[in-house]
Amino acid sequence: MTATAAPLKDLSQPMSVTAPKPQDEGRKLGFRLTLPAQVLVLFISLFPLLMQLYISLTDWSPLSGMAWPRAWEMWNNFANYTDLISDNRLWSALGRTLLVMVVCVPVEFLLGLGLATLFADDFPGKRIFYSILIMPMMVVPAVAGYMFYMLFQSGGPVNDILSSLLGTPVTVAWLSDPVLAMIAVMVADIWQWTPLMFLILLAGLVGVPEDQMRAATLLGAGPWQRFRTIVLPRMKTIIIIALAIRVIECFKIFDTLYIMTGGGPGVATETISVYIYKITTQDLIWGYVAAIALAILVVLSVACVWAMKRMARAQGDRA
Amino acid sequence: MNRSLSFEVFRYAAILGALAITLIPILWMVSMAFKPIPEWQATGDALTWIPKAPTLDNFRFIFGESSSNLIVALDRTAAKPILSSLLSASIGTLIAMSAGTAAAYGLSRFGSGANLPLALIQLRLFPPMAVMIPVMIMWSFLNMMDTWWGLALIYGIVTLPFAFWLMKTFFDDMPREIEEAALVEGCSRARVFWRITLPMMRAPLASAALFVFILNWSDYLIALLLTTREWVTIPVYMASLSSSMTGQLYGAKAALGLIAAVPPVVMGILIQKHLVRGLTFGALKQ
Amino acid sequence: MSAIRLEHLVKQFGAFTALKTMDLTIEDGEFMALLGPSGCGKSTTMNMIAGMERPSEGRILFGDRDMAGVPMGRRGVGFVFQNYAIFTHMTVRQNLDYGLRMGGRPKAEIASRTKAIADLLQLSDLLDRPAQGLSVNILQRVAIGRSAVMEPAIFLLDEPLSNVDAAFRAVMRTELKHLQRQFRQTMVYVTHDQLEAMTMADRIAVMDHGVLQQVGTPLQVYNDPANTFVARFIGAPGMNLLKGRPVETPQGVAIDLGAAGISPVLPPPQAAAARSAKAGVYYGFRPEQAHLVSAGQGLALPVTFVERIGARSILHLGNGDTAVKGVFENDLRATLGETAHIAPIGEAVRLFDAGSGAALRGH
Repeated sequence: MTATAAPLKDLSQPMSVTAPKPQDEGRKLGFRLTLPAQVLVLFISLFPLLMQLYISLTDWSPLSGMAWPRAWEMWNNFANYTDLISDNRLWSALGRTLLVMVVCVPVEFLLGLGLATLFADDFPGKRIFYSILIMPMMVVPAVAGYMFYMLFQSGGPVNDILSSLLGTPVTVAWLSDPVLAMIAVMVADIWQWTPLMFLILLAGLVGVPEDQMRAATLLGAGPWQRFRTIVLPRMKTIIIIALAIRVIECFKIFDTLYIMTGGGPGVATETISVYIYKITTQDLIWGYVAAIALAILVVLSVACVWAMKRMARAQGDRA
Repeated sequence: MNRSLSFEVFRYAAILGALAITLIPILWMVSMAFKPIPEWQATGDALTWIPKAPTLDNFRFIFGESSSNLIVALDRTAAKPILSSLLSASIGTLIAMSAGTAAAYGLSRFGSGANLPLALIQLRLFPPMAVMIPVMIMWSFLNMMDTWWGLALIYGIVTLPFAFWLMKTFFDDMPREIEEAALVEGCSRARVFWRITLPMMRAPLASAALFVFILNWSDYLIALLLTTREWVTIPVYMASLSSSMTGQLYGAKAALGLIAAVPPVVMGILIQKHLVRGLTFGALKQ
Repeated sequence: MSAIRLEHLVKQFGAFTALKTMDLTIEDGEFMALLGPSGCGKSTTMNMIAGMERPSEGRILFGDRDMAGVPMGRRGVGFVFQNYAIFTHMTVRQNLDYGLRMGGRPKAEIASRTKAIADLLQLSDLLDRPAQGLSVNILQRVAIGRSAVMEPAIFLLDEPLSNVDAAFRAVMRTELKHLQRQFRQTMVYVTHDQLEAMTMADRIAVMDHGVLQQVGTPLQVYNDPANTFVARFIGAPGMNLLKGRPVETPQGVAIDLGAAGISPVLPPPQAAAARSAKAGVYYGFRPEQAHLVSAGQGLALPVTFVERIGARSILHLGNGDTAVKGVFENDLRATLGETAHIAPIGEAVRLFDAGSGAALRGH
């Protein structure tokens, strides 16, 4: 038994009290090293969750004129949770969030995969093109939102380009039209996050052994057959991870969208995060917000456990 | 493999198209940042793509210098928001990296904190919006609303998962022979960590720190909820920049956007080869 | 139909010439080994035959058919990669019938051909096992079977034994040779290991620095190397080569080998050849074809080392320009530093032009 990295099961063995074993020292140090992270995690999860649960059962609001511990005085018999079920604005927001997700994630995936395929082998200029193409994902999302806000002004570049392409002046007020605003928001999301897909899928693509591709070619497989039988199966886990990351992030979509449209016109681009933000800061019905938030946390936790298992398997494959 | 000429033509055409789409929004903002007021918006049908009379007025304006072109005066300049972004993002990075690195080492070497990987992934999964109510209550209780340290603390927690996972994969990849040799020489484990491991991990630590910094610097939502006036960050300040006199202050906002966008883009290019690892929680290495 | 003709084949990678004007014909059903040290151009040659690389100049013909422009998937060549390139995410069966499936063959045909090849290669019991984690000799058989099931007229093998540890190589060599006899296809086998080439090939093409040095049967290449490179490269240890000048002795023409003394007298044809070499000659003989003689005969050199390799003992004499090795039975008695007298037996002597390195064929 070497001294380092005593596995967990060894720590549970009865320990001698006479001389400290090497594992002892490691265990103590390991505990001390993980302590700050544990404290931070507890600080942000356990206590806030209990507080959230407590508040979600009441009508408490920062305007109630009493401190939150006394919220029980405003106990409302789970009314927040029953309201939630009939809250059309919430369900519409959820619907819009899902719409953004089902449009943007596949588009980003396909564009990213296509670009990654083009970058799979070496060609002149590859490094510089690569560096430029991944830039959007590093732009601060709020700034990206502002970029697209400018682009989609009725006197802005998008209309200008469309005008010269179509030959007639185009003066569409993108962000004031419910449908067009949604499209604009999606375009911005696709612009910013296709590079992420590209980056991850390319990493997976170059991991496909070239000899296997050549072997398949020599056995008569065409490009599409090679892609289907060699590339896709080998990238399965990577694709799942890439999609999972984007689905999660898409669900949270806020910064870009809020700067571009503020959820409007009206509520035309109001997603879950925007809706919660608005009722938090404008309506100030925090008890109700807490109930919505908690419901989302529960649903996402289930999804998280599933995703974690996938990730663990991906790492197992690579070990 | 031999590729046909037509494939090469297609490849370059596709990549050039992608480059154009990638660059137009960025270049438009850059161009806007240097435009004087008359060029901000299309007059008639003439849209200015390249500033005809490039000027630094927009930058001067957001730092409070009065400009002959802009009749409005700002009630506060961009200096403090920039300071706020810098302070909160760097101290947040310090918190995340310290706690994350220590915990990653503890788990990687001693198997301590086996609950952390899942707990931290979950932490990342949740929309910040869904935990902000208790956070806002706690932060007011702790008198941390509208302070850079309050922001730094929440940033440190929010990006802890990235710091932890990145460092964990780096530690897992690191050969242990040197540490073992030092242990045999009689070094204590704590000393090995401080004197051997951390110095060896300087480059990965720097990459991880830059990655975490980018994430902190990029935040908008949390700062929007936790700061109100004194310590608003650049994105919050930028969104508030508008005036009833001139409507949207396009050029000024673009100048500010440029200032906000440059550091993470530069840093991102610096740590290019670790981006995949960071973004996928170490599940993928490039 | 499945002979391979390489005509004036040249391959350049930028400024680097990997292959200089190669002409070689590989007969139908022949097992040809391309042998040479790494970087000699053998893999480049093979990759061009397979269609993975395009020749810079020259032609490749299968039978009478020019292969220029025929993509690698349509050449009908089987290729066994150095690392086998097994599809590890598939089962053995999926590996074996991959080409048939991609070619859209009828299900029944796929099943019967796969079964036949699996039986032949003794893979029938493993068909539904995942390819991941199989042992290397099974992987080799899968790699061969995967190509063989397509019934290619030509089989190309790229150093298939280089990843196998030494102890196992002998087994694999036997297995490979056995398989070749069963398939009877034209086989091109790239290797840097002369033992593999000697034991398996019908003919060997020895290459160095992108130049074909010699083509011949293993015995031809061993007995009559075309030049000093082949002489040194083939054989373990390689041929002894001593630089010298022809001298007239009372008994006839011999070679003055400087510090090593005067060689035994050459037979007349070799004597004539030696005289014609202006730059002097290399006097060569195989370590296995030497014997120890009494003082006054043969070459007199100090013993520098006795290498016991088990079955035999290798006697190292002299050093630098005069280094000579002899392979003897283990009852060899030699003392370090003492002078030993060694002479090639009978017809073993080979002469090479000291300027060009080419063999002086005088026998």
